[in-house]
Amino acid sequence: MKIVVCIKQVPATTAEKRYTADLRLDRASAESVINPLDEYAIEQALRLAEAGAAESVAYLSMGPDSAAEALRRALAMGGDEAHLVTDDALAGADEWATAKVLAAALDKLGPDVTLMGMASDDARGSLVPGAVAALRGLPLLSYGSELSLADGSARIRRLTATGYDMIEAPLPVVATVTDQVGEPRYASLKGIMAAKRKPLETWSLGDIGVEGGSLRGAALTRVVEAKPPEAKPPTERVENVSADEAAAKIADWLAARKLI
Amino acid sequence: MSNDVFFLAEFADGQPARSALELAAGASELAGQSGGAAVALAYGPGAAEGAAGLGAAGAARAVVLGSEPGPAISYAAAAAEAVKAAEPLALLAPATPNGRDLAAALVGLLELPAFGPVRAARIEGSTLRTEQATLQGTVITVSEPADGAPQPAVVLVLANTFTPTEGGSGTAEVSEAPAAEVGAFGKARVAESHPAEAAVVNLEEATVIVAGGRGVGSEAGFEPLHELAAALGGAVGASRAAADAGWIPYQLQIGQTGKVVKPSLYIGLGISGAIQHRVGMQTAENVVAVNKDPDAPIGEFADLFVVGDLFQIVPRLTEEIKRRKG
Repeated sequence: MKIVVCIKQVPATTAEKRYTADLRLDRASAESVINPLDEYAIEQALRLAEAGAAESVAYLSMGPDSAAEALRRALAMGGDEAHLVTDDALAGADEWATAKVLAAALDKLGPDVTLMGMASDDARGSLVPGAVAALRGLPLLSYGSELSLADGSARIRRLTATGYDMIEAPLPVVATVTDQVGEPRYASLKGIMAAKRKPLETWSLGDIGVEGGSLRGAALTRVVEAKPPEAKPPTERVENVSADEAAAKIADWLAARKLI
Repeated sequence: MSNDVFFLAEFADGQPARSALELAAGASELAGQSGGAAVALAYGPGAAEGAAGLGAAGAARAVVLGSEPGPAISYAAAAAEAVKAAEPLALLAPATPNGRDLAAALVGLLELPAFGPVRAARIEGSTLRTEQATLQGTVITVSEPADGAPQPAVVLVLANTFTPTEGGSGTAEVSEAPAAEVGAFGKARVAESHPAEAAVVNLEEATVIVAGGRGVGSEAGFEPLHELAAALGGAVGASRAAADAGWIPYQLQIGQTGKVVKPSLYIGLGISGAIQHRVGMQTAENVVAVNKDPDAPIGEFADLFVVGDLFQIVPRLTEEIKRRKG
């Protein structure tokens, strides 16, 4: 039983972000981290390995050379090996191109379970896992608050509008998990040292059998404008008033905007 | 290829979800701009019977994918066949877990351009343009399909981006989806279903949200919030801290790992406004916050920020609203 966790390097939530002249995120300008929601997928995979339900855990990422740092950090948490697909032809890749590349790399790795976080912190489309499943012809188990493996099947617990369902599919599958799987572990010093000796392989598009030309400039979409959010009027502050006055003030404010 | 605008119309318990009515209005608006027709892809319990009724919401036609409960993604193959046959200009999907799954499957199966979650979309000439807040809302990007990209453009749409048509009439012309092999997505099945004892509202559909955080302190502490929400005709939501503490179900969590909401009014009570919560509610039109801490981050981005004790203020506010509503 082999699990591959796909991870994305993203700018830290608190980092200042800039766009380049061609309207791409200037990834070199910002402090980068493992997408925080991917850490839950890593944690889930490591727990399955510790419980004996999986023999190996590998990581896969697509990104610039610097994404190797994110993979090293994942290896410091645990797991066996990592693979980075990096190629100049991939700059500005959209969801479609990202899914194409990950699917090709996963064809080469052949995992029983491909595990991903529920969303990326930067773009939040949550479309890559389902698109990868479609491209590879595999079932998708999405938004699991836990994942279990038994008898050649994977099963997730997924919240519904009011309760939850247990959803099951035969392996191999693509699965995504939420932050409810459990808090991600910190990398120990021992883990950080061990990670330096774990295999981290870098692949070009050619290495995974993808012709650069088939990716149409890595995107079926293009950004035509990047702008700061509209300036909001300054916050109206109400302080040092009685509860009655505060309640009346809020009611007046709502009434002035026809909200009551 | 056509100028039509398709949209996903999810049904539950025999009724179209609010997202279906919003996207019907949105698809109708965009189809008006492109000179095409708004077409529903209807699925879920009640879809077969209710599809024609989407005409009143703005749909000219409706294709029924199926009426079974369960994960929406099981309709991916049928949706792909319907989309492939028509090659519409755009396909609008709700930015919900089901909507995202189905949209993602179409992006992979048909290799389509994807956008979103967007907060605005329009068609200029014959080009789709979408507007999206990215990087935790620090940047607004405007995007369009690349030259020669295949149709349709798949667009994830945030709740409350479009307003449902009130008092419309008309009947959508209904057809069955072309037969399709269910494929790999059909292999995922619901092994067990556990509905909750208490009904939980769909937060993404609420136009008024009263949200509580760590400062609410307990499950009982949410009682005044429920009363305020009732007086406003709204729903109660929460920060992750309150959901983790078990004071409120996870279905009501707003934020990075919960629901992304876009109500016309959001009232945050005892919520500090950390970035993880903020990304879930920053597109709310009006933000009111009450917090004991004058330095709470929410005081930096709320429209109205009241420093004070929510347990003193909220019951009085509820009474005041009831009084004014008569």
